[in-house]
Amino acid sequence: MIAPKTRKRFQIGLIHLLLGLWLVISLLPPVMLIAASLNTKALFRSPWDLLLLKDFSLENYSTAFVSGEFWFFFTNSVIISTASVVIVLIICVPMAYGLSKISGRARNVVAFGVLAMRFIPYVVLALPMFLLFVDLGLAGSRLGLLLAHLAIHIPFATWMLVGFFDTVPNELEESGIVDGCSAWNLFWNVTLPVVRSGVIALAILVFIMSWNEYLFALFLAGSNAQPLTVGVTRFLGGIESGAQHGVVAAYSVLVITPVIVFSLIANRFIVSGMTAGAVKG
Amino acid sequence: MAVIVCSPLALGFRYSLHRVFLYDFDNQLFKGFENYKQAFADPLFLKALNTTVIFTIGCVVICVLFGILVAFLLNSKKVVWRPFWVALFLIPFVMTPVVGGIAWRFLMWQQEFGVINAISGLFGAEPRYWLLDRETALFASIVSNSWHLIPLAILVFYAALSTIPDELYEASHIDGAGPFQALWYVVLPLLRPHILFVSIILLTSAFREFDMIWALTGGGPGRSTTVLSIFAYNRGIANQDMGMANTIAFSMFAFMAVIAWIYITVYRKTLEQNQ
Repeated sequence: MIAPKTRKRFQIGLIHLLLGLWLVISLLPPVMLIAASLNTKALFRSPWDLLLLKDFSLENYSTAFVSGEFWFFFTNSVIISTASVVIVLIICVPMAYGLSKISGRARNVVAFGVLAMRFIPYVVLALPMFLLFVDLGLAGSRLGLLLAHLAIHIPFATWMLVGFFDTVPNELEESGIVDGCSAWNLFWNVTLPVVRSGVIALAILVFIMSWNEYLFALFLAGSNAQPLTVGVTRFLGGIESGAQHGVVAAYSVLVITPVIVFSLIANRFIVSGMTAGAVKG
Repeated sequence: MAVIVCSPLALGFRYSLHRVFLYDFDNQLFKGFENYKQAFADPLFLKALNTTVIFTIGCVVICVLFGILVAFLLNSKKVVWRPFWVALFLIPFVMTPVVGGIAWRFLMWQQEFGVINAISGLFGAEPRYWLLDRETALFASIVSNSWHLIPLAILVFYAALSTIPDELYEASHIDGAGPFQALWYVVLPLLRPHILFVSIILLTSAFREFDMIWALTGGGPGRSTTVLSIFAYNRGIANQDMGMANTIAFSMFAFMAVIAWIYITVYRKTLEQNQ
């Protein structure tokens, strides 16, 4: 008979072991990417050799920067993602603030819009947008791609923000009114600080979503507005031959670094945003 | 806002009723529902539909299963460094799907030097051409895409589990239930509305998935991983047949509308039951 205390300890150890195993599964692909990017001739090495960095070199990175035209794609990605975040905040924060003050119809319309967006396969939008933008002269421009991103983000962002504004207690604003705040002051100095962490979470989520977007870029970006996600897939053609295996890995690491850093820094915000926004959705 | 979404939708529907070729764009011909009839008589379309359904169901089942399991482990008493686990478990979800596909393709499933074959080799299994074999390519795509989506399930279930009071577990423990009985009889019934919710979010995501599969297999080998999104892209851009591409896309939209309607009905019912 095992003592209950030992059994308990064994159980806790087992739980941590399983969590660790899950961690390995979660992180193996990105870790392997990093390992492959740091080895020359990465294709012809077993995974263990890659992880041990037997052929360590930073050559792949310099190749990715030079022959991968990294800065061209990077600039497009940064401009489109940043502009998405700024415009979403400018449009959605006031809209959500207004919506949280009223009940009934308008709110239901937004709720329906969010739900509807979830059910629209993006290819349904991307195909006609491609033709429409040719007509409007927006094809192959950053502006066109930005519009497509906004179409995806705005309903989701508004709905998440309405959820955050709803958590602000009415008494807070009422006391502001008693103190003689103007409507603008009330919004800017009283309500907004309360939901600040929510707004930051949303901004980061929108940035990550824009950064990772690929389908619309493939349809709409032409050759001038291509973001990094398109840039990285340009290498796929010749890769089976093994020539640029490590370079693709290096390029990939460069693409995912910003989103992973963001998600680690703002992890608490993102989790609360995802679950709050999601559970409400 | 409504303009940016609705005008492409209306335009797309119009194209789906016409003969529209990119190389012959000015010569459009009204065909009514002829495109739809053609699509549903096309074995390639039906195969793509079948592949999409298998892919979607596979992803939802794997994600919900592992989502609950990991969330349950994470929520057990005396787990240390919870924020640390949560932060790192989130990474597959935020990692760019195209890059995720590249990583799985060249470092995980790769036949000679990939991690999967290296590990299965330790157990004496023969190496397989996972992504180059029609039999396994879809399975490999499902696993890779599930890897990307599972964090969403983990986080929602974990948030839901942490609202279940400890007394409930203690009560089941006193009644002599082990951890798995607690999971089955205590946790699962309480999670039911969340399972419904997570399933629908995952279902919509997996149904329209393009990036991950495109990077993994490009729809091949043969047509074994050509889901509807990829089929529509191939028809519209590669074959330049925009009329048919829009028809395929709109059929996807119609399927989703039916699923949305079912979901809303079921959701209302569970709400009524809970009241």
